[in-house]
Amino acid sequence: MERSQLKDVVADVPSLRGVFVTAMPDCLLFDAWILPNETWIPEDTASFFGDLVRANREGLKALKSWSSEMQVTIESADLLLVLKELRSDFVVTLAFQREAPLGMVRMYTKRLLDRLDGVLPRLEAKERPRSIRVREFLEKYAPDPHAALARVSLRTGISLDALRKPEALSAPQLDAFEESVKDILGLETLSI
Amino acid sequence: MSTVPASASESLRVYLPDHDLMAMAGAPAVYHCHHFNLFLDQTVDDALGREGGAQLRFNAARESAHTFLQQLCVRKGAVTPVEKMQCAMETFAAMGHGKLQVGAAAAGGAAIGEFLHYGYSWMQKYGQKVRRRSPADAFAAGYAAAAVEVAFGVPRETMDTAEIACVATRAEQCRFELKQSASPPAQVAPVRDTEVRAQLRPTFNGGDEETIAGIAKGLRDFTAGVSGDERGLVQAFGVFVTMHLAGYYNRISFDALAATEKRAPDSVGVLEELLRESGHVCVFNTFGGILASPEWEGMVGKHSGDPRPIVAGSLAIARALGFGHWTLQEFVPNKTLVVRAPATYESVYYLSRHGVAKRGPELFFQGAALAIAQLAHRVKWTEPVHLTAEVYEALFHGGALPWKVEQTQSTAMGHPFSEVVVTHVGA
Repeated sequence: MERSQLKDVVADVPSLRGVFVTAMPDCLLFDAWILPNETWIPEDTASFFGDLVRANREGLKALKSWSSEMQVTIESADLLLVLKELRSDFVVTLAFQREAPLGMVRMYTKRLLDRLDGVLPRLEAKERPRSIRVREFLEKYAPDPHAALARVSLRTGISLDALRKPEALSAPQLDAFEESVKDILGLETLSI
Repeated sequence: MSTVPASASESLRVYLPDHDLMAMAGAPAVYHCHHFNLFLDQTVDDALGREGGAQLRFNAARESAHTFLQQLCVRKGAVTPVEKMQCAMETFAAMGHGKLQVGAAAAGGAAIGEFLHYGYSWMQKYGQKVRRRSPADAFAAGYAAAAVEVAFGVPRETMDTAEIACVATRAEQCRFELKQSASPPAQVAPVRDTEVRAQLRPTFNGGDEETIAGIAKGLRDFTAGVSGDERGLVQAFGVFVTMHLAGYYNRISFDALAATEKRAPDSVGVLEELLRESGHVCVFNTFGGILASPEWEGMVGKHSGDPRPIVAGSLAIARALGFGHWTLQEFVPNKTLVVRAPATYESVYYLSRHGVAKRGPELFFQGAALAIAQLAHRVKWTEPVHLTAEVYEALFHGGALPWKVEQTQSTAMGHPFSEVVVTHVGA
């Protein structure tokens, strides 16, 4: 999809400040549209939206309360965010002005998602190596990103060079890598 | 930052003449901020594992605190157990470590901590980002054990403390249990300022000496009256500052290195790199915070944009914090920085405890010198400076540093001085 198409899709939606389309499962920015006066950097946010929806999905599944219709609504100080999975390929995040009426937001959200469903391509799920996704997850969420890989290296004995190209890690090394990442992030599981 | 009259630390703080090494009640001491403290503890845990790291940190705290508290009580005239305990806890808070209440005797007991430096600052720095699953206050645990040993005449390093609840793991308060150790470790000779003084060599000066010495004196005067606030914390220059026992830092660093050399020699290089990085963390946060402060402008004046005054100011800060008589031997902007010291707080400990080193062991000194070069050249000091985690990432993210550092001399190796040479990679 070309950017001009996304601009056309959102053309008549009031109170809308931005749209972020995140490609799944890799949580990479696929496309975005933001108002000209916004200073957001779409690349900085798209992956977090993907992770958020995925974590929400897994949490609801654990509670046996998930359905494909679920969407996440966030009311922050100056934004009303709606996040929704579109097929299994994308997460769409719509950022409205905070004062926009919720009923209107829901109506336009449905309309926009229908339009996007028509213009977004079908992505072939191309699974990247788990080791790469583990490393990306660590670098995204580690409290001290500059030291994250060195910390894993020290904990696991895997060399820094090997961790920089993790696709070549052996199965036991990948297990150790993943365990240390979970421990550094204080997580029971990695949602990747 | 608050000051209280007759702070517990003020009258007991001594700088060894001409060497700018600090001692507190006869124990080698330095100032360090929470960013450095947390990073160093974390590195030790990464190297030795959660349990091994915590055990080493506890042992180091108990050992260094015992040496310190024994002398402290003598100098403060504390005689009875209750006087000694009170003296220990008041001093703990005055040094910026938080509030610790110990209700224990020779057989053991319990303790409660409030605003403990490590746990509290960990939550402040990391609590919104990650969940911690193990307690953070090994230093307070070791200090409490040493306090009981000193107060009740229990043999040195025979009390154990377990932190059973910690605010860093989202408990409401920090709680400790103390008991007699079932297997006390073998004791080694303490490293006090007596041992440090015995090995000091003649000192010397370098470039910009008058400027550096003047600023260092001003900073020492400023910190002389500093004491913990009502929380027992010292908050200044955007960081939580502690007056800390140098023996703690040195033992956890050098013992972690020795253990890694035995257990996983291939990982020694990574550990050394992280210990150097602790120097980056310190210089960026504490030195940077001081350099960017209104107090600095009031004392030294506005920044000119020239890197040399930043280098000179940084060496003055290092002296005032008790790191040693760091002197400027050579500085060519964008090319070279050579820092030399007649001794550092790392080298004097290493030589006393481990004997002559085979290679330069002053990894903090190395990392700090590199970070000074980076701070002098890459930060626009004439504009408003915000030293955030994002700025740190941009300046120090591994692999992209424009500087390399080499330790060419070390008093721990038997050389007449310690020296680090920082060179621009493109020079």
